[in-house]
Order: sequence, then structure tokens, then C-alpha cells
Amino acid sequence: MDNRTGFAPLRVAVASGKGGTGKTSLAVALALSASASVRVRLVDLDVEAPDSLAYLPDAVASGERRTVEIAVPAVDRDACDSCGLCARACRFGAILVLPGVTQIDTNLCKGCGRCVRVCPRKALTERPVEAGSVQSYEHGSLSVIEGRLRPGDVRVTAVIDGALSAASGIPADLEIRDCPPGATCPLTRSLRGADYAVLVAEPSAYSAHDLVAAARVVREMGIPGGIVVNKAGASSPELDAAIAGSGLVPLGSVPFDADLAREGADAKPWRMDGPAGPAVRAVLDALKALEASRRTA
Amino acid sequence: MKTIVVASGKGGAGKTSFAASLMAWLHGQGIQAVAADADVDAANLGLALKAGVPVERRTYIAGDAREVRAEACTGCGSCAAVCRFDAISLAAGVARIDPFSCERCGACADVCPTGAVRSVPAHAGELLRSPVAYGEALAHGELVPGEDASGKLVRQVRESAARIAGPAGLVVVDAPPGIGCPAMAAISGADLLVVLMEAGASGIRDAARLLDNAAIAKVPAVAVLNKAGLSPERDREARDLARDRALDVLGRIPFDAAFRRAAERGGTWLDSGSPGTVEAVSEACAAVAARAGLVPAISAAGATPERTLP
Repeated sequence: MDNRTGFAPLRVAVASGKGGTGKTSLAVALALSASASVRVRLVDLDVEAPDSLAYLPDAVASGERRTVEIAVPAVDRDACDSCGLCARACRFGAILVLPGVTQIDTNLCKGCGRCVRVCPRKALTERPVEAGSVQSYEHGSLSVIEGRLRPGDVRVTAVIDGALSAASGIPADLEIRDCPPGATCPLTRSLRGADYAVLVAEPSAYSAHDLVAAARVVREMGIPGGIVVNKAGASSPELDAAIAGSGLVPLGSVPFDADLAREGADAKPWRMDGPAGPAVRAVLDALKALEASRRTA
Repeated sequence: MKTIVVASGKGGAGKTSFAASLMAWLHGQGIQAVAADADVDAANLGLALKAGVPVERRTYIAGDAREVRAEACTGCGSCAAVCRFDAISLAAGVARIDPFSCERCGACADVCPTGAVRSVPAHAGELLRSPVAYGEALAHGELVPGEDASGKLVRQVRESAARIAGPAGLVVVDAPPGIGCPAMAAISGADLLVVLMEAGASGIRDAARLLDNAAIAKVPAVAVLNKAGLSPERDREARDLARDRALDVLGRIPFDAAFRRAAERGGTWLDSGSPGTVEAVSEACAAVAARAGLVPAISAAGATPERTLP
């Protein structure tokens, strides 16, 4: 990852399946360490619970907070004749039409625009509503882009898209994405366009179960990836089996350590000279190898 | 029917372990609750409750997926132009729909001039009912990885649990992390929300975000602190947050390395074999059950049991 021009940044997604395994800890450590030598942007895509900035209290906001908007319909009551075509077209159950009344639940609307197109009387027009916001920060040479879902809103994927789009405007050699937990649409949205995925697991039956699902998503999306085991120490046959069946490469492990747990409670970033250092370095080495192969390709 | 929901905002805060422990504690009191695993993205409650082979399976269909019949596609690009979700690309003159990005709105099929976009029912997963070691049953869902964990499946899991519990029954819901659609579907209409607050910087931020939600603010809520004692400052912040949001702290579960290792095996915290943890968890369960009106309030329960670490 030497300084390059004319190359798209290497985009690396840190994900897990289970929450609380250490995604944010690893993503922040990777970003901080790599930012010593290359331009890094860290994108917090866990928009329901964005916590990477908790680890970077000195980060300073740069630029305006941008709202993420989606277009939802509004009804012109004079033009509407309650024909109901809009309600039939809506796949999200956001429109209810009764004689003389057309009600739109804008919280359920995903902004597909289908209702507006099917309305024969042009009684629906679109107006923007806020689903969330994106704010950029600077922490030394590291850029941080945080997506944040508006409390009360549920349109997670729109905010993830907004954060990725804002991030793409910030020049970088390496993009680290702190992804949401789970293995469904918020994760797939966060993995779009990623060159590599690092899944963080811990030695427990729960984590093993969720790793299987997350690894399957990564595989089906055709993204190469590796696994870091956090809080390692106890043997977990379930996790061993999940890793063996994941099709992903074991990259390293961070030992369970009471001091690390204490530092984690205070949101202190992993230190490269601490117990997590070797695993972070192993991931960076894997990324360097990937980058080298990309450049020769 | 009563519904107790365990939620946290942050993932890994101990929701599943606490929900399972509450089921086991109630079981010990002769109260058989129905568990609902609303964390359909990472459904682990069955592991904790030692669930058996499902006795009931129903297919869960999440609307219609769309496919392009390549032989009928002229590559005009109308579908890609109308798609608001950037899910359609043209490769070699044929449209391709990325199933991971598609929101299944159907706009592409509306505008295709040759009818090349066809609908196929999306088999998104299954709704299950399984026997458990502690309680009456577990209602849960299994999603195909990558599927939309819509609130719809969460609602169906809750409905299924409610049916099993019956009008006089009790449902314990293990909510998904976050504050989005699945979390809201899991929490809405609860009789009691237990906010499991991890006493760490991230856990406190995420619990605050959860409580910022106006809809959640209407639900009667209490707090239980988990992983307490790692940092005195964070413990204080967690208590401050609970006080600011008018939540009684009904329990304080200390961070305990030995118990953590026991929990790695699955099972509930009451099986952890760590006496301090078992006592703290039992007290928290008793206080939550008393607050929900399931057992008479005993001396400490329902107040703010203060426990200090040895």
C-alpha cells in the first residue's frame, strides 16, 4: 500500500456476524496503524450503533454534517380519486387507501418511486425526508466518515449507501469499513464493492454459529477474506469447525486478556506493542500482499 | 399475555445470555415462558436454551424477487434507470439484478418494454418452533444469509410466540442489536423493556441511542448493567444514563473472566458455575420478574440492589 495515484483504494470490510466480537477494535487498530504510512479512510457503517469515534476522542469534525435523504411520496388530496393503484404497487405496505382517504406511512417507505409512476392522476409527488446523516472527521492523517441512522428511522441501507458515497470523495489508498453485525441486508450493503473482508470471531458457540452465516454471505458475494479470532484462549470446537468450513483464511488471533477488556471498556485503541499487535500486523501483511497482486494484475 | 423484551443497542452486550437466564430462572420458579428469538440475523437463543429439533417449520417468503430472462432482454437499460437501489447493471447487453441490493419493489418489471423481468417468490427462510430445556417453547426464525432481516420476520416470530403462550402466557423476547427496523419490531408493544447496558464506552453510547428513540421512550423500561466493574468511571456513566432516562437499575452483573469462559460453551449464566455471577444474575432476574408482576416483590427486588465487587 505505497502511495499510489490512479488506483482505486483497497477497500476492506471488517465484519463478524455476532455483535460485540471486536469489529470496531480491529477496524480502528488497522486504520490507525496503516495511517502512519498511507492515506486511510475509516468508514463507520454500523449506522445503528456507530462507535469507532469512541476510540478516537481527538477526532475533529471536518465539513458540514450531510443529511441522507430519501424521496417519499406526498398526496395531493384534490387530485387523488382513491383508485388504490399506488397501494397495490407498494411492496412495503406504506400506503393505505380507503374511499376518500389515502394515507402514507413515510417511515415504511423505501423511496422506490413506484407509486408515483403508477398514479394515473399524478396525485403523488416526491419530497425528501431525512433517514440519517454522514459526518467526516480528521484524526491526524486518518479520515473518519461516520454514518448515523436518525433515531426512529429504519432505513439502514440508505444511510450505509450515503456513508460509502461520502467516503468515496475523500482521497485514500486504503478504505477500512467498520460493518454492522448480522448477516443480512445491512451487511451485504456494507460489503458492496469491497476487495477483501476480515471477519472477527470469538471462541464461543454463538460466535461460531454467526460466523458461518457471515462467511456464507462473503463467499456468495465473491469477496476474498480472512478471519481473526478475538478473545482467544479457550478451545471451541464449534469455532474451529466454523473456520474450517468458512472457505476463509485464518489470519491471526488476539488473546483473551483482562487488561485488554478493561481498555476496551474505556474505548482505548489496541496498541501495536500490546497483545493485539501481532494479529493486526498479520492482517496488514495480508492486505499488502493483496495490494501487490492487484497492482501486478 | 405479557411480553418482556431484552435489548441493548450494542451487539455482544449479553442480551441472549440474559434472556436465556431469565427463562431458566422463571423455569426454576415454576413459570414456563415462551422465548422469542427476534435476533433473526444471529439467532443464538436456541443454543443457550438447549433447544431440541424443531417440531414445527413454516416457510418464510419475503415478497417477490425479480430475475431477468436473458433471451428476452434487449439491453435497453430502462430497468437500471428506474432502479433507486443501484441493483441493476448491464453486462454484455443484458441486464443483471444483484439480489443482495434489490429491495424487491418491482419497478424494473413495470418499465421493461419486453416483459423480460419475471417475479419469483423469495424463499427468505423459515419460521420454527422448538422445544427448550427451560420454558414452554422457542419461537425463532432462520434466514437465508444475505436476506433482508425485515421487521416482518421479527413480527412473525413474535406472533408465533404469542400464539404458543396464549392469553395468560408470558413471552420473553431476545431483541436484535441496533435501533433499526428489526430492533423496533422486536421492542414495540412490550410490557417491560430490559435494557442490558454494557458498562463500557460503546455500550453506554449505544444504549443511549436506543433510548433516544421516541417510540421506545413510551415502553416501560428498566436497566441491567453487564460487564460491570471493568472501569469505575464507565460504571458511573452507565448509572448516570439510567438515572437521566428514569430507568431503575435492577441488576449489576460483574465482568468475570471465569464465567465468561463458561458462557462460551453456550447455556445460561445460571449454569456458569461462577457463584458471584449466579447470585448477581438471579437477583437481576428476580427483580425483573417482580417488576413485571410475575412474582411478588421481595425485599431487594424492584428497588436498586447495590452490589459491590469483592
